[in-house]
Amino acid sequence: MYIVIAGAGRLGLVLAKKLKEDNHQVCLIDKNESLCHRLAGELEGVLTIAGDATYPEILKEAKIEKAVVCVSATSRDEDNIIICNLAKELFNVRRTVSRVNDPKHLPLYQYMKVDNPVDSISIVARIVEEEASFTDVVRLLSIKRGRLSIVRVNIPETAPVANKSVKDIKLPPNSVLVSILRGTEIVIPSGNTKIFSGDEIIAATLIDTEKEVIKALVGKI
Amino acid sequence: MKYIVIVGCGKSGRELAFELSKTDNVVVVDRSLKALESLGDDFNGKKLWGDALDINTLESAGIKEADAVFLLTGNDNINLVVGKVVKRKYETKGVILQVNDITKKRIFKEEGLTIVNRTYLIVEVLRKCLA
Repeated sequence: MYIVIAGAGRLGLVLAKKLKEDNHQVCLIDKNESLCHRLAGELEGVLTIAGDATYPEILKEAKIEKAVVCVSATSRDEDNIIICNLAKELFNVRRTVSRVNDPKHLPLYQYMKVDNPVDSISIVARIVEEEASFTDVVRLLSIKRGRLSIVRVNIPETAPVANKSVKDIKLPPNSVLVSILRGTEIVIPSGNTKIFSGDEIIAATLIDTEKEVIKALVGKI
Repeated sequence: MKYIVIVGCGKSGRELAFELSKTDNVVVVDRSLKALESLGDDFNGKKLWGDALDINTLESAGIKEADAVFLLTGNDNINLVVGKVVKRKYETKGVILQVNDITKKRIFKEEGLTIVNRTYLIVEVLRKCLA
């Protein structure tokens, strides 16, 4: 798959390397000429282009019309939005993904129809908040624009599911136990698998039933 | 009396704000306090210090009631993004934006947006001098 990334900051770089490892073709655009020059030597097989990606001729140079995805990862939200708009409207790129620098700017990404604005600050803040508040439940991931949620639940001794078999646990519809983490072991649950206190359970659920799932597993929210 | 929001208190924003404030209700938005202060004490309008890319700033500037919005920051991309969002979300009647790059002016033209380009204007004036 051909992917164009605008912005070779920390995020753009890590992403380019990762996508390259996964055997995608990657093009990296950045305004900083000397940085691009250095990267061209460091990143083998990644095309680097020095220029302002908010200008169509630079995107053209990157052959963005061949890209399946355009990722804008610059540190300016107005630039990211313009880049995604150009990619989509001028070059018919199917999917646009963007880093959102300031969560307050997120509505603008939505009005300007960026397909996937990723608000990293809010995501990290939520994880830090959960880690800092010592809860038994951590939401690991929400996908499908927040409709599906994957949670990690620590099973305390008082949990209603402790010492029960999976088949005897009643979970709300649209939810499923994905795996049980027991020490260093990962157990894929079947009907006869027993749950013990101290286990960590990974469950997938629709966002609407998330609270019910947590209640069914730990007894409280 | 019209209600007018001006985003960007640079040279043109400041002059326009001054002129319009003589007859209309004017609010000037800028993210630099210094730029707003340059309007001086004689300015007969409101100054709002804030980030125009934040919807809350635009709403506290009274964007919903505005008859016209001028986007005059020195950054084409900010002017374009805010201009389009204002037009789409609030259906403001007059949305006028300064875009200094000619190719961007061409690409982003959209119904209901008035895009002003400095180079183009100067060329027009110079041509008229010849006539």
